[in-house]
Amino acid sequence: MTKRIGTVIGIVILATLFLWRGGQGAEKSTKDAAPKAAATNATTNAAKAFDTVSKELYPKAKQEGNLIIYSVWDVEHLRGVSDAFMKRYPGIKVTYWQGRNPEIVTRVLTEFQGGQSSVDVILSDNAPPVIRAAGGIMPYETVQKSVLVLHDPTLPTVSLQIQALSYNTKKIKPAELPKSWEDVANPKFKGMVALDDPMRAGPLSSMLAGLKGQWKNDTRFNNFLKGLKALNVPVHKSTSAMFRLVIAGEYAICMPALLHDVFEEKGKGTPVDYVQTVPPIVFPRQAGIYAKAPNPNTAKLFAEWAISTEGQQVIDSLGRESARNDFKSKTSIESAFPKGTKPVPVTDKLFLEDPKKWLDTYVKPIWEG
Amino acid sequence: MIVPLLASVIVGGAIITPVVIVLLRSLTTGKLGASVGFTVANYLRVFGDRDILPMLNNSILYAAGSAALGTGLGALLAWIVARTNTPGKALVELMPLYPILMPPIMKNIAWILLLAPKSGILNNLLQEYFGVETLIFNAFSMAGMVWVFGLACVPLGYLFLLPVFLSFDPSLEESAYIAGSRPVHTTLRITFPLAVPAFLSALVLNFLRGLRSFETPVLQGTPGNINVFVSRVYDSMALEFNTGLATAYSVVLVVLSVITLIFYVRATRFSERYATITGKGYRVKVLDIGAWKYVTFLAVFLYFLAGIAIPFVVLIVVSMIPYFDYETFMKFPSNMVLSNYTKVMRHPSFVTGLYNSLILSIIIALTTVLAGIVMAFTIYRTKTYGTKIFEFIGTLPLAFPPLVLSVGLVIVFLGTPLYNSLWALGLGLFVAYFPYAFRNASGSIVNIHKELDEAAWVHGAKWRHVFFQITLPILKPSVGGALFYIFIEAIRNVDVAVLLTSPGHEYGPVTLFEYFRVGQWAEAAAGGVIYLIILIVAVSVAKFAFNLKFSL
Repeated sequence: MTKRIGTVIGIVILATLFLWRGGQGAEKSTKDAAPKAAATNATTNAAKAFDTVSKELYPKAKQEGNLIIYSVWDVEHLRGVSDAFMKRYPGIKVTYWQGRNPEIVTRVLTEFQGGQSSVDVILSDNAPPVIRAAGGIMPYETVQKSVLVLHDPTLPTVSLQIQALSYNTKKIKPAELPKSWEDVANPKFKGMVALDDPMRAGPLSSMLAGLKGQWKNDTRFNNFLKGLKALNVPVHKSTSAMFRLVIAGEYAICMPALLHDVFEEKGKGTPVDYVQTVPPIVFPRQAGIYAKAPNPNTAKLFAEWAISTEGQQVIDSLGRESARNDFKSKTSIESAFPKGTKPVPVTDKLFLEDPKKWLDTYVKPIWEG
Repeated sequence: MIVPLLASVIVGGAIITPVVIVLLRSLTTGKLGASVGFTVANYLRVFGDRDILPMLNNSILYAAGSAALGTGLGALLAWIVARTNTPGKALVELMPLYPILMPPIMKNIAWILLLAPKSGILNNLLQEYFGVETLIFNAFSMAGMVWVFGLACVPLGYLFLLPVFLSFDPSLEESAYIAGSRPVHTTLRITFPLAVPAFLSALVLNFLRGLRSFETPVLQGTPGNINVFVSRVYDSMALEFNTGLATAYSVVLVVLSVITLIFYVRATRFSERYATITGKGYRVKVLDIGAWKYVTFLAVFLYFLAGIAIPFVVLIVVSMIPYFDYETFMKFPSNMVLSNYTKVMRHPSFVTGLYNSLILSIIIALTTVLAGIVMAFTIYRTKTYGTKIFEFIGTLPLAFPPLVLSVGLVIVFLGTPLYNSLWALGLGLFVAYFPYAFRNASGSIVNIHKELDEAAWVHGAKWRHVFFQITLPILKPSVGGALFYIFIEAIRNVDVAVLLTSPGHEYGPVTLFEYFRVGQWAEAAAGGVIYLIILIVAVSVAKFAFNLKFSL
């Protein structure tokens, strides 16, 4: 009898446990299912919206017949994007001019002041917000905003610049690596780190703007900056040259590097890697539409196409990071960083539109003081 | 005389227009894109900048050191090639020529890879083979900067001095010999002093190039905490997007340029003292320097090694290895890859860009050199009052950093049918390179004694007879050198061309040298190697098959 009772109790407990766990699983799967369904909906809605806007814009764009792009992107990348767009939308001819951000800003704003209708799309990172602040951008909000990691209501974000903490695998062991951005300021890394110049509108200043926005703690920010300053290490005005010197072994740690550069070099067998536990800094790469664009419909069509899954596949194939949160690739944050990593977005309006003023206010007093 | 004067006024006008426009911009309030009004705020900021003096100090040290090293070495090479019996004549003539073909940015990258303290090839070699633990070489130091930019200054010194040493009135040196002077004393007390105007001309140009040069200070100076003045100009553009402020900073460079030019004009004010080409004819007397001829050969060979051979070999290896570090570098050729070459050859603008740049560079070289000679002729051969002003106008574009100058050029062309055409690019390059042609012509024309012209005037010759039948033929050696130099500079120009190229009109160097600009050094090295091979073959074919002299 006692044995039977014990068996019954055991069965009841097991059943209870099973039901409880099952219920918990069901609850969890319901919890998981909700964002998944929302994401799927966002993807479907974005696809539908793109389809509609594409059908609406293409006939007008075909009439315009041309698209002129000014960009900071490599010529090979520009050619890749242009060819794919022209293939997708026959009857439109794409031409481009390539320059660095200061050259793009100078050229566009000089043309803007001169009333010149010379460009349709400014495809860059730092340049569009500065041009917008001077009135040179035609505001345009993408219809696919729900799938973007970083959304700006007047500048369509078509890709992301992701910054990571990179290092030379021959020069430093994984166990000795900094565990966070703040850890880089530890005096033990003196003589090992190469810093991008924090007093220019470059990756390190973007990182500082992102961290300041995330921390919302001036003391923490100032201590971090003081720590970096105390390292008394070389600063570089050319991030790419600094990255090359890290690969060469001149320095062990690169603060910061662009993730797509790290992946490209890793692919070649170069002794570089990045610290996965350090959250990435994300900066928007935008396709700003020029205020006096001669082909505004084609410019909008291009921006929408670039954000669409089709466009993102082309951008990803060139090694540039996707702007969408539903697009998986080796450089997307979900793939490149541990699950749950929260990226640090650079959204500070003052920094984006007037980097000099931002640096003078928050960095210069400590860095040059 | 009205024709050369008119031509000089037109050329001067074309040059001064973008300069005036950027100067006016320095008196405006706003940044680009904002509404503007007149103000002196930019100048107040410049003169209130407490960092300006140490930066200027660095700039002057760097520019003067590089100019002295480059021009001095160039002059020495020119003297060896033109006036000594150094063995291997054909080789000795060619060796100083090839380094001219190598763009300064390529030298920068190669020498950084050689001289970097921890990762540099030379320090690692010393450590590996001689056990030297001390880091002897440092690319990120003032000495490293002066060495690299000084090497880039040699070609100007060489090309400016060579024609002078090749065209001497023999009576000047013969008088010294008759008076018992030995060859060394004659060289030091007669030959070299007579080359002073051309030497100063090259020195001034190299000094001004150093003041506004940006790549060496950015790549080598910043990591060594050596900040030069011109970085303030670029920061004003790159960080504040404020051309007005950038121009106000550039005005400091203009003032320095004017002071330098006043020094030059004063030093050469008695131009007839330096006339080496007189009515008595001229020929080259080759000095027998005895056993020293092997030393001079070695000197030329060492320059050849430092000027092109060593950096070229480094770049070839870098273009063929998966990535650069000392260990991988030393494993070459077992780890050879050719992927960088296939990538560069597939560059979308490689062929069209090269074609456009080739045609434009030839035109630019021809027009600037002709216009430069006309302006120098107007100053030194017409007795028109006030023509000395052209001495400043003709050199002024050199005082402005290229990005600032090209903004002025964009504004000039904006709204005209020329904008976004190859014409605008051509005219922009004309303005940028005119100072080189002009300074070369002015340095050379001073060496021609006025008695040659005066003989023609006495016989009723008109200016065109004097210009085309006397001045131009005598200047032939320096014309060849200037054409060659400006062609080479124009075919690799990026700084001025970048804002003047337009969608659909590619310019070879802008796209090809983009690899350097974005830091893809292996691809850049591959592109540079292809570019250099094309130029070396072209120069060698021109030299041997068509017997072109390049002023030799």
